[in-house]
Amino acid sequence: MRAAAYPAFALTAFQSRLVYRNQVWASAFGDLVSIFARVAIWTALFAGASQVDGITLPEMVTYSLLAGPLLYWEYSRVLYDVGDAVRTGDVAVFLLKPLHYPSYLLSTHFGHFAFECVAIVLPVGLIVGFTVGLLPPASPFHGLMFFAYWAVSWLILFTLACLCGLLAFWLLTAFSLEWFLMAIMSLFSGAIIPLWFLPAPLATAFGYMPFAWISYYPSAVYLGKLDVAATWAHLGIGLVWLAVLTAAVLALWAKARHRLIVQGG
Amino acid sequence: MAIIAASGVEKIFRQPKRQAGFGGAIRGLFSQEFTEVRAVDGISFEIQPGEAVGYLGPNGAGKSTMIKMMTGILVPTTGTVEVLGREPHSHRITNAAEIGVVFGQRSQLWWDLPVRDSFDLNRHIYDIPAPRFADNLARLTTMLDMAGYIDRPVRQLSLGQRMRAEIAMALLHDPKILFLDEPTIGLDVVAKDVVRKFLADVNRNSGTTIILTTHDLVDIEEICPRLIMVDDGKLLFDGELNRLRTALGSRRRLKLEFGTDPGPITLKTAQLVTDEGLAKHFLLESEQTSILDVLTELGSVHDLTDIKLEEPDIEEVIRTFYQNKLTSAGARP
Repeated sequence: MRAAAYPAFALTAFQSRLVYRNQVWASAFGDLVSIFARVAIWTALFAGASQVDGITLPEMVTYSLLAGPLLYWEYSRVLYDVGDAVRTGDVAVFLLKPLHYPSYLLSTHFGHFAFECVAIVLPVGLIVGFTVGLLPPASPFHGLMFFAYWAVSWLILFTLACLCGLLAFWLLTAFSLEWFLMAIMSLFSGAIIPLWFLPAPLATAFGYMPFAWISYYPSAVYLGKLDVAATWAHLGIGLVWLAVLTAAVLALWAKARHRLIVQGG
Repeated sequence: MAIIAASGVEKIFRQPKRQAGFGGAIRGLFSQEFTEVRAVDGISFEIQPGEAVGYLGPNGAGKSTMIKMMTGILVPTTGTVEVLGREPHSHRITNAAEIGVVFGQRSQLWWDLPVRDSFDLNRHIYDIPAPRFADNLARLTTMLDMAGYIDRPVRQLSLGQRMRAEIAMALLHDPKILFLDEPTIGLDVVAKDVVRKFLADVNRNSGTTIILTTHDLVDIEEICPRLIMVDDGKLLFDGELNRLRTALGSRRRLKLEFGTDPGPITLKTAQLVTDEGLAKHFLLESEQTSILDVLTELGSVHDLTDIKLEEPDIEEVIRTFYQNKLTSAGARP
């Protein structure tokens, strides 16, 4: 395996994004509008109260940025990438090279994500920080743990998008799957409404599903809503979910490859 | 030892039967019927290192399927394919590192990036040592005349430029075998010529084994001394191009022109086809007959002004062959 190729893919993806500068402006503008809309909604809901269920308004503003553009990144790019490669048969091109397709996808989309962080999330964060204000992490421990959660969150969303993309091998369309995933995620991941505002039974149920590790847990850890023990425990559960999803991606890829090379797609 | 060996290779695809109309689509959701398509039907051949082989056949003859089996992205249903002594699909990664593949209809270049960046990614993928990469890149850039556009993004290139870049990309890691699936498709005359000359050169001077599929016979005339012809998944011919004529049973034409009409003439070596008086057309019976034989048989009694021996046009030969096959298939009850 030529390991040096994978960082090169990430770099290439990053560079290729520089070509489409207008896309950056459109995405950044879209993110800003969405964050200010959330801020307006939470301000209205709090209606002057200093806190609701122990949560303050500045915490919700910070949550909107973290759980929104930063953690809930443009995963549909992965889904379409895999879906198109499958539908058009271009996936054969990857099989002709001495490389592992899922690893190729991982490095490429990490490159895309790094670009989005630098070109979109960072400026949006700065604008929100200077206008509405953002909170620092609850403690140095929570700040550090946020990075671990961030990594788990990114990988879980990546594996979920890969799974849906690979299903296109059988369904030959990624479009319907994207809607399915989007609908599930907007509720289950806490990207829009944090689980702490949901009715207790729902919050408990959603809290064990892998989606919660995408937006909710990382943001909650950053804001110090989980104590030290719970932070470690949930990181462990998140890693288990990640292992399960990774195994599922590899199994589905092996099945898809088998179908491709035995049945000819 | 053969670098590629195919023996008794068959590939059967199972395709879901789509029923027409909305009702059919609904039924298809619950039960699926399959039709079996035999794309490759009992093909065997061996290719020696350094050969250039043209794989010729009409659309749907199973050319691409065969290439895909040799490159390890399809598994034969029965029979075996060995490339460099290995089964390609079970050693996909090792096999991929030692072969180069160009698909005329699929790009391997990164669309948004300059050509050079795609090449550089290949350096990482195939782990090419820097000095060798620099040498190869310089050589390929000159030979394929890419200096003018190597720093331009792929999406701005013409098809001819892109195809040259695709071929260069497949050769950067010095593959032992180069597979090309319709490399000249859609190119103009000049671009086709550049590609053909280059491929012939790579084969003769670097000793790279070349296997290419094409519809275009000129590709084969200029690059490949050996021809494998298939139709309907079956092997029709395997051998030198100039033997194809004999194999398909077409004969050379002889035209005799006289100053004065010599009257009817019969020859043992050739059969009269049309007699226009001053000009007579014959078909030669044997491949071995030379003009000298004809002249000897004719003697010097006639007022012969011109003699012409015409090789049948290969394309014509193949066209007639396929047409005859079609008509005979159509005539069957």
